[in-house]
Amino acid sequence: MKTILLAGMIGIWATGAMAHSPLDATTPANEAAVTEMPTEVLMGFKGDIRLTRVVITHADTHSMDMDLGEQTAFTQEFALPMHDMGTGTYMIEWRGLGVDGHALNGSFSFTVE
Amino acid sequence: MPDTLGLAAIVTKFALYLGVMTAAGTVMATLMFRLDRTRGLAAAFAVLGLASTILAFSLRGANLTGDVSGMTDPEMLGLLWTTPVGTALLLRLVGLGMLISGLFMGRVGTLVSVLGGVIAIWSFNHVGHVSGRDTTLLDIALTLHLLAVALWIGVLTPLKRLASSSNTYALAADVGHRFGVVATVAVPVLIIVGGYMGYQLVGSFPALVGTGYGQALIIKVLLVGLLLGLAAANKLRFIPALRSGDPTAAGQLSKTISVEWLVILAVLGTTAVLTTNLTLPT
Repeated sequence: MKTILLAGMIGIWATGAMAHSPLDATTPANEAAVTEMPTEVLMGFKGDIRLTRVVITHADTHSMDMDLGEQTAFTQEFALPMHDMGTGTYMIEWRGLGVDGHALNGSFSFTVE
Repeated sequence: MPDTLGLAAIVTKFALYLGVMTAAGTVMATLMFRLDRTRGLAAAFAVLGLASTILAFSLRGANLTGDVSGMTDPEMLGLLWTTPVGTALLLRLVGLGMLISGLFMGRVGTLVSVLGGVIAIWSFNHVGHVSGRDTTLLDIALTLHLLAVALWIGVLTPLKRLASSSNTYALAADVGHRFGVVATVAVPVLIIVGGYMGYQLVGSFPALVGTGYGQALIIKVLLVGLLLGLAAANKLRFIPALRSGDPTAAGQLSKTISVEWLVILAVLGTTAVLTTNLTLPT
């Protein structure tokens, strides 16, 4: 019991270091403002990964799961087609698996003005 | 704060360490010190190890989808199977399977069980922070470290049992003494390879004190220091007293072992946090 408490306490105090995020660059860039809705989002990773889930949230309200049916290989560059949901902020949350078996996740956002 | 799945991953990892290390250590101690009546103990912890191996693998699936659906998603689990995580799963299932089978095969079976335990321990080279470094020396260091830890854990419960009955005081003193002799080699190995791995993984003093990983490692080392103090009390005081026929030493030995167990649980818990929730300093 003590151990579980201790582990929990350490876990809570240490979460600043959570998650591996090897995302190198995105287009549009993180927190960028663009005037026109891009037809696709590009994600470039530092190592080979396989995307397992990507959720796009528009203006904090509409969320949709991206269809990853086409993405069936471990690679570094991804181009995901975007649906125009109007102006506002698009938050992209992604999850994936590194070739070493590590689960990876992260997020980035951009705004269409 | 880690989410529910993150907490579940830590608790499962803790159970995995406890199961694999105690099961492997019990059969190693049984072979090395010719212990009796350890089958139930080894089997129980091996089953805990098997259950948490499967649950830990499944939870990794959940990590890939971000929700519990991933735990049983054939695509996610199939994907994991192709990575080193799948190799580690296979090694653990085979190793713990051999360990349990060996328990029912008589004297030769002990060797099968020990081999199974070593295979299960070897699996830890395939996943986690050490696997990312790709150096054979670090793999060997981790394996030696884990074997020494397992033996230490494995001897505790049988020794405590021997010290709990006046009929077996002499045997307890003998096993304790022989373990003390092994420990004069195993403990320095544990400290040297532990220090080496810590240096390789953390790398610098600022990283040790300034990152969550380093701080958790400091907690682990402090706990191990406490453990060494307790073990020293056993080796230098209670075991020699028991050998010279002092029956009160048996009770003290038994109490110290209980405290040792608590500290070991805390060490394994800290390790589970280190390997699950914290990233290495860069």
